[in-house]
Amino acid sequence: MREHKILFTGTMGAGKTTAIGAVSEVPPLVTDVMNTDTSSAKAMTTVGLDFGLLTLDNGDRLRLFGTPGQARFDFLWKILVRNSLGLVILVDNSSADPLADLAVYLDGFVDELRTLPCVVGIGRTEQHPTPSLDDFSNRLEARGLVLPLLPVDVRRRDDVLMLIDTLLAQLEVQAGDDIP
Amino acid sequence: MNHLHSSLSPSLVTLAHEHANAIVNELAGVTAVIVATTDGFDIASSVRIDIDSARLAALASSIAAIGEVVSAEARLGSTRCVTVETDSGFAVAYRVARLDVPMVIKVLGGPDAVLAQVKYRAAAAATLLRDA
Repeated sequence: MREHKILFTGTMGAGKTTAIGAVSEVPPLVTDVMNTDTSSAKAMTTVGLDFGLLTLDNGDRLRLFGTPGQARFDFLWKILVRNSLGLVILVDNSSADPLADLAVYLDGFVDELRTLPCVVGIGRTEQHPTPSLDDFSNRLEARGLVLPLLPVDVRRRDDVLMLIDTLLAQLEVQAGDDIP
Repeated sequence: MNHLHSSLSPSLVTLAHEHANAIVNELAGVTAVIVATTDGFDIASSVRIDIDSARLAALASSIAAIGEVVSAEARLGSTRCVTVETDSGFAVAYRVARLDVPMVIKVLGGPDAVLAQVKYRAAAAATLLRDA
């Protein structure tokens, strides 16, 4: 059995804690506290980390970590990304500027993204269809990045598993080994 | 300012400043005191060193929250404080268990600071800010 670490990051309110909770087979560790930022309607927000576990069909185990979303916690981004095999960036398409939100994390993980497989999940696209996936893709391309982009509802286990499967497929291609 | 800080009672903010200043001024070796919301916004600070109090506020909230999780997982009860001891000082973070705006007091001490003294004083300030 092998263990892999995957990091979920992205906008405050994009659903990192929810995503990990949707697939974790153990009660996830959460470090949520009362949100006092009145620009967000969220009652609680993550200030430390989220943690969950997911065992794959082949017995390999994924350790799923989540970062706080706000840039003031970027010191934790750098800590939590260490030894990660892949990165999931979640963006909330209902926010004021989802493309700018994505840029925050592309900048925040700019060094890691040179080598680290990454998938981008865009949430709330049904109610907020713009910007489109093409718009996101163009922004990535402008940075020389080609990353899988998926619309997701992080409350749905299957959607989150699809993100993870996509990330693992990237890993498989990149490593050329038998990582599932 | 998109933050609850702007709606905190001025008397509470003043009290937080007073405690931060008092700890820095009264205890030898203390280099910084930050009073922050548990989600990482600084409310009051008193610093003697070149340090970003906004960043320290975010650090304080993270370390306090991680301490809470450690306590819960280890079934050690409610967290009172988190202490980080280093080879040249220490950092302590005390929870201020207010229902309206939960807060954290973070104190940094250099090699000349006495940990027990700082913890006693920070705990007292946490209680006073909780009950204010």
